[in-house]
Amino acid sequence: MSDLSVTDWKERPRAAWLAVWPIAFTALRLVFRRKLFWLLLGFALLNFLLVFGAIYLLATLEAQQPQIGKMLLRMLPELSGTGKTFLNFMLAQGTVTMILLAFAGSVLAGNDHLRGGLTFYLSRRINVLHYTGGKLLAIGLLVSLTTTLPALVLFLEQGMLGDTVEYFSENYNIAIGILGYGGLIAVTLGLLLFALVSWMPRPVPLVMSWACLFVFLPVLSGILRWIFDDRHWRLLNLWRDLYAIGSRCFGEAAVRSSDEAQLPEAAAVVFSVCLVSFIAIVVRIHQLRHQS
Amino acid sequence: MTPLFEIESLTHRYGSVLALDDLSLSAEPGAIGLVGQNGAGKSTLIKILLGLVQHTSGTVRVFGSDVGKHGVGLRGRIGYMPEREGVLPGLNGIEYVGLAGELNGMPRKQSLRRAHELLSQLGLEEARYRRLENYSAGMQQRIKLAATLVHDPDLLLLDEPTSGLDPDGRTAMLSLLKSLARRPGKSLVLSTHLLGDIERVCRHAIILEEGAVAASGTLDELLAGQPHAFLLQWKSDNDAISGEFLAALQRSGAEVASGDELGQARVVVSEQWVTQQFFQLAHECGVTLTGLEPEEMDLSTVYRRLVGIDAAAPPLIGLAKGDASGVATS
Repeated sequence: MSDLSVTDWKERPRAAWLAVWPIAFTALRLVFRRKLFWLLLGFALLNFLLVFGAIYLLATLEAQQPQIGKMLLRMLPELSGTGKTFLNFMLAQGTVTMILLAFAGSVLAGNDHLRGGLTFYLSRRINVLHYTGGKLLAIGLLVSLTTTLPALVLFLEQGMLGDTVEYFSENYNIAIGILGYGGLIAVTLGLLLFALVSWMPRPVPLVMSWACLFVFLPVLSGILRWIFDDRHWRLLNLWRDLYAIGSRCFGEAAVRSSDEAQLPEAAAVVFSVCLVSFIAIVVRIHQLRHQS
Repeated sequence: MTPLFEIESLTHRYGSVLALDDLSLSAEPGAIGLVGQNGAGKSTLIKILLGLVQHTSGTVRVFGSDVGKHGVGLRGRIGYMPEREGVLPGLNGIEYVGLAGELNGMPRKQSLRRAHELLSQLGLEEARYRRLENYSAGMQQRIKLAATLVHDPDLLLLDEPTSGLDPDGRTAMLSLLKSLARRPGKSLVLSTHLLGDIERVCRHAIILEEGAVAASGTLDELLAGQPHAFLLQWKSDNDAISGEFLAALQRSGAEVASGDELGQARVVVSEQWVTQQFFQLAHECGVTLTGLEPEEMDLSTVYRRLVGIDAAAPPLIGLAKGDASGVATS
């Protein structure tokens, strides 16, 4: 290797923001190389297949045995193809997504802070925003893969199994709801996870913090609400806040009566979490860049 | 010709720690060695040149552009190889180098093609699909170099590139760096504490000490600017006569550092000094010279004396500062 004879590269470089894709793609590639993540994705897929099969079965029964089909639909109103069907499906998928993100966080971004990957990225023709954008995109895609994408597939299935294609035109708000709720989860969880990973890149503290936020806090909020008989304590449950706002994306009818009054407060909580997370990310990256 | 970089009154602090202290420097394109002890400010200076660290005060221009304002664009023309960090575990060699190219604005196909070319040339052809965490230290240095070169940068900033390499690997890496430095229109800044590396690769050197430039210039200038040093050995009847001989040398303008043993000293004299003067002074003081050995001055000797590591090394006098042609300080 005493001499190099590599062809010159003198082309005009592409726009820096395009680097967001390889950053996100690389982060996802690293996640998919871990067996644990395939296991968790498998769990998410199981729930999807269950709902997919149930919708198919109900639709088939409704077509061939209308009476049995209607009876079953009365028994299982959550599989009737309304906004609630998809809202609840995404809520259930969210549980697996939570666990997936807790374990994926270190791989998605934590190693960059632990092993000098940040220097690798930031010494290239990009800035902090491109790097952050790429990582958030990766988290967002991972969240969408387990929530939004399967929900959209179920929506398509529901429409295609019906008698007419009018299902889509009559229920376009469901598609908007799926995208809206999915986007909300992706952005909020993306910012929160990236902020936590920036400050706690090691897997164990990250998983513990994540568990505190999504297991301990909801339990605590329930206890406090019971003790003080004040519904405001429910706002401590971030997943519930997201659900409340997400349900509004599916239309007013989808919002639970218990959530309706707290919608503005829930939105304020989610917005605050996003803002604080964003500031935490910027401060941390600024700090890391200025460390010797 | 546009200078490679120009630095004016650069100061950088890490909290209360002063890393670079009012540093002014400019360099012409070429191979430049950056040498200094740990904590001298080498890595900080490199990161500032790259726009990776925002300096506290002062002006830094690379290729005539302010790094603070045009950092992203400049990084497209610069390749940076960090010393320890910068490897992404979980990726294989090709993915890693290809990613580096894409982050520097290369289309994916071209980036991967150049990555394959580079890995073949750097002797990593067999290991290109192996994960980076399974690479040896030498292979990691080479893969980092490939990621540095993939977008064909005009300036290479190399921070301790031979760190962790075995002697053969070090020799090979230095040969490669030498060939890189010879390419027309390309420059490199080699930061190291191994002076031999700089002597092999670079034509210019900047010596940093406690965040300031201790000396700079072409290697020839740094060495030629040095006075002649000799190791003297003599015999005398008693200590007083030896003392008198040393005093006589000092009176004649020589700088004297007594050796560990009696009858031995290192003496630095000016260019006008005639060797015969040693014998004359010895004769006058009644001592018999038994040894007169001119000491070879290399960058290591210059450096050690300059930063005060080795007090027994011959003192440096008249070391040119700020007037070198290739690298200038003010």
